[in-house]
Amino acid sequence: MSASKKLGSVARDWRERDVKVVLSALVIAVATVAIIALFANQLQRTLVTSASSFLAADRQLEAEHGKPIPQAWRDEAESRGLRTARMVEFSTMLSHGEQFQLVSIKAVSDAYPLRGQVEFQSALEGEREILEHGPRQGEVWLNPRLMRLLELDVGDTVEVGTLTLRISGVLVREPDGGFNLAGLAPRVMMHADDVAATDVIQEGSRVEYISLFAGEEEALENFYRWLKPRLEPSHEWESIRDGEALSESLQRAERFLLLGGSIAVLLAAVAVAVASRQYAVGQRDTVALLKTLGLSSTRIGRMYLWRLSIWGLVGMAGGLLVALPVFAFLNSLVAEVLEREVPFSVEVGALAPALATAIISLFAFAYPPIRRLRHVPAMRVLRSQPGEADSRAWTDIVIAVVAIFGLVWLYAREVVLVVALIGGLAALLATLALIGWLMVIALRRVSGGGNAWRLALVGLYRHRRASLSQIAVFAMTLMLASTLILVRSSLLADWQAQLPEQTPNHFLINIAPKTVDEVEGFWEQRGQSLDALYPMVRGRLTEINGKPVRQVVSKDDSVNALNRELNLTWMEALPQDNRIVEGKWFEEDQTEGVSVEAELAAELGLEVGDRLGFTIGSETITEPVTSIRTVQWESMKPNFYMAFPPGGALEGLPATWITSFYLPEDRKSALNDFTRQFPTVSVLEVDHIIERIQEIVRQVTQAIEAILALILAASLVVMAAVVSATLKDRQREGALLRTLGGRRSLLVRSTMLEFGVAGVLAGLLGVAAAEAAVWALQYRMFGGEFRWHWEVVLPIPLISGVILALLGRWQLRPVLSVSPMLLLRRLE
Amino acid sequence: MTDPASGPENVSEPILKVSNLTQRVNLGNDTLTILQGVSLEIKRGESVAIVGRSGSGKTTLLGLLAGLDTPSDGEVMLEGNPVSRLSEDERAALRARRVGFVFQSFQLLPSLTALENVMLPLELGDYPDAGRRAKELLERVGLGDRLRHTPRQLSGGEQQRVAIARAFASEPVILFADEPTGNLDNQTGQEIQDLLMALNQEQGTTLVMVTHDETLAARCERRLTLESGRLGKEQEAAA
Ligand SMILES: Nc1ncnc2c1ncn2[C@@H]1O[C@H](COP(=O)(O)OP(=O)(O)O)[C@@H](O)[C@H]1O
Ligand SMILES: [Mg+2]
Repeated sequence: MSASKKLGSVARDWRERDVKVVLSALVIAVATVAIIALFANQLQRTLVTSASSFLAADRQLEAEHGKPIPQAWRDEAESRGLRTARMVEFSTMLSHGEQFQLVSIKAVSDAYPLRGQVEFQSALEGEREILEHGPRQGEVWLNPRLMRLLELDVGDTVEVGTLTLRISGVLVREPDGGFNLAGLAPRVMMHADDVAATDVIQEGSRVEYISLFAGEEEALENFYRWLKPRLEPSHEWESIRDGEALSESLQRAERFLLLGGSIAVLLAAVAVAVASRQYAVGQRDTVALLKTLGLSSTRIGRMYLWRLSIWGLVGMAGGLLVALPVFAFLNSLVAEVLEREVPFSVEVGALAPALATAIISLFAFAYPPIRRLRHVPAMRVLRSQPGEADSRAWTDIVIAVVAIFGLVWLYAREVVLVVALIGGLAALLATLALIGWLMVIALRRVSGGGNAWRLALVGLYRHRRASLSQIAVFAMTLMLASTLILVRSSLLADWQAQLPEQTPNHFLINIAPKTVDEVEGFWEQRGQSLDALYPMVRGRLTEINGKPVRQVVSKDDSVNALNRELNLTWMEALPQDNRIVEGKWFEEDQTEGVSVEAELAAELGLEVGDRLGFTIGSETITEPVTSIRTVQWESMKPNFYMAFPPGGALEGLPATWITSFYLPEDRKSALNDFTRQFPTVSVLEVDHIIERIQEIVRQVTQAIEAILALILAASLVVMAAVVSATLKDRQREGALLRTLGGRRSLLVRSTMLEFGVAGVLAGLLGVAAAEAAVWALQYRMFGGEFRWHWEVVLPIPLISGVILALLGRWQLRPVLSVSPMLLLRRLE
Repeated sequence: MTDPASGPENVSEPILKVSNLTQRVNLGNDTLTILQGVSLEIKRGESVAIVGRSGSGKTTLLGLLAGLDTPSDGEVMLEGNPVSRLSEDERAALRARRVGFVFQSFQLLPSLTALENVMLPLELGDYPDAGRRAKELLERVGLGDRLRHTPRQLSGGEQQRVAIARAFASEPVILFADEPTGNLDNQTGQEIQDLLMALNQEQGTTLVMVTHDETLAARCERRLTLESGRLGKEQEAAA
């Protein structure tokens, strides 16, 4: 056959209905998977970028040993297309005339910030401005509290070490202000090139050098690969994912996207499978004809392989043609929501799962039945023998299972996800087999009698093979869609619970013990109640079981908490959101022991009973670990790695107190009075961080809704495709029933009932399987607790019943509108 | 032959009375006249053959007689009911109770077994024991051992037997057959003919049959010829 002839035969195929269904399924499959993959990919990037403002960059490299980060490293990064900036952070005295104040200085280069913005006022009482740079050389910006404390104004000069700098503005907020309760001397921002002239930094000073990097994810990763072998233990490479408050939310969002994508893959596989299977089975007559015409089995096999390949290509091209504009549209929506430009970029790698899904399911489901047909004698193909079962159908099932499993694995590479989804599907099919068996037993004796209900049940029994496979597909579709719905709602609920309205958004730190009451009184007067107050002692963990920590923990493991001073506290009751995972919380009157945060305990390999030595100022205390507890770092409340019992060794040491509270935006002016009245108390404003997180959660929520909508649309299409697989048979039956004297209303009612019952059944099964899958996912992937979701369990079977009943009604339409005579002519 | 039990109507009253039946179809701007002024009467229990060239309008006529379609003009009275003036659902009810069909291409539902195919018309009406009656009929047409087979597993002749069993299942007073042997070989056609005539005799059904088959036409009591949509001269045939 010449190529043009082959193409001609493909064009002829197009007129066959089954072929149209296969091609539409392919187009839908490729389009859905591609759209979701592209969108998820894009979203991940935009989310990370929008979260990156917390670092003022995409990545930070910190050196905590007081040595600058080599310029060559930044040069290397720039040669790889990354943008860089550098920062120096240190504490020093700032003076103005006779006045001295300990401040925490951040000196930044011209490019700072690479991500996010600086909030600035050109005068103490001026308007807030948004800038994308720090102070120029010779200038300095001061925190408003410090300005008030020292009674300074813009235009005044201050001394940092030996350098005199002019105050050119008020620093309201830096993007990478972070959420660090340590070292809360008031912030001063100056230019990095001025640092040397201050003469403050000497050999051995406590100073942190930081390099900032921003650019394409791939370039960043490549750069890190280059950088990694050059790093020393005191170097720390940080991405936004390491940030405590946001990382959980981001990770969950990413996992949701992954889940959505996997579900799209499965749905697509189901759609293509149903359609191509239908096509293959419908080819019996053609294969028989070809055999009687004397075509060899090999040629028949090759012919179908060729056809399937062509359709695969056509379907993929069609799918991409649909996917790209939809993706562009979604992209523009995202840009609108984010109020910034989102580059339209199609990552070719993200398209691979879509194409693989289409091709693999096409061949895995269409080819095996055809391949088996070509070995069967023509006569047997045409007239199947009574009682002849498809003995080799199980190999098809194995091929199909392997294909689907492989596809989801290819996409997600997450064991839990694959197992949960495939396990849910398997449980569903097993239950369905049971139901099918029960149906045969229960419905065998039902007979018609002009009653729509009985006719519907008779129909279900008569069409049990088709009905069961349709119910199976509907149930699978519904399971996948409900899984996504369930995970979505619990995800959203989690997020809402994590940062509810009125989450504490201000911290008061450094409250001297004797002013605690006064501070409380100040806020009570203004109608603001403070959350729990915690004492805070700063100290380092120096010994584990009598050995220096540095020896116990190998140098490669960079344990963050060891590099810094830790916040130690004592408390009576376990905070509500903490949970003991090992050991026991302090008894009443217990004064010994320490409770350690679980992640740190794991990093250090600590167990209950280990003795920890802390150095606090010149004192050391040693306590046994009595419990290990988890902490909700993302809760934005004061959290502590180490908690001691009240009345213990810690209580004798000098402590300051910390508390948090919620202050609405319109009350913020009270802070000015507060800082004037309590100049030594540090106020940490995290309202913008919380707002930012809430905004990101909102964005992710919208994205999740969009993906859910896509998946639901795809499920509807799959269901319609499945119903249309038996369209011809159903219409033939309807036409015949009408000529035999069936009233239209009876036909309509019994068909709708039959489909409705199938729909409810599929809905029940699907939701039950979804609950099972969600149980596994929730437990292993999203770390929440499982509960039944009645609000989903109840409506979905009803909705699916109604949808199917309507689909049933819809497919009868051509049978109802014309005279039986015309129907008969069409049947001939 | 008449069956007094089949209805309260006067025996001499024709079961089917057709006057001036005309059927036209619109094809774009052209109007095609398929049937032109056909008038005829068929008596209860009669067997009538309709013959004519292919395309002469036989199937169209049969469909109108059976109330499967409405004529452009003229009237069909079936057992005193003005078929052409009944609503679609009234005609359906009439078909369900009084009319049986046999088609050239059998028209069995491929997904149902032989038994289920025969049960189909019984289920539409309110027959108390559809299963048993269907089984009896299949035994009568010689397929008692093929009840659970699907059409795909049956030969053409066997399929037509199932169709005949289905046609007689609801005990119709009148049976319409459109070239019932048209898709079968001579030998099988002969057997189907015999079966059809025999059942017709047994049940006292009125039979209206379109056929190309001269021997089959000859076995009917009357023979109507259609020529380009008009009824030709009528011949009496020997039964
Ligand atoms: N709905 C229709 N539209 C157009 N032409 C029709 C229609 N129904 C029947 N015909 C035409 O009317 C003629 C008679 O058809 P038919 O009754 O089937 O003939 P017969 O059964 O005698 O072969 C044919 O030429 C056929 O093509
Ligand atoms: Mg005809």
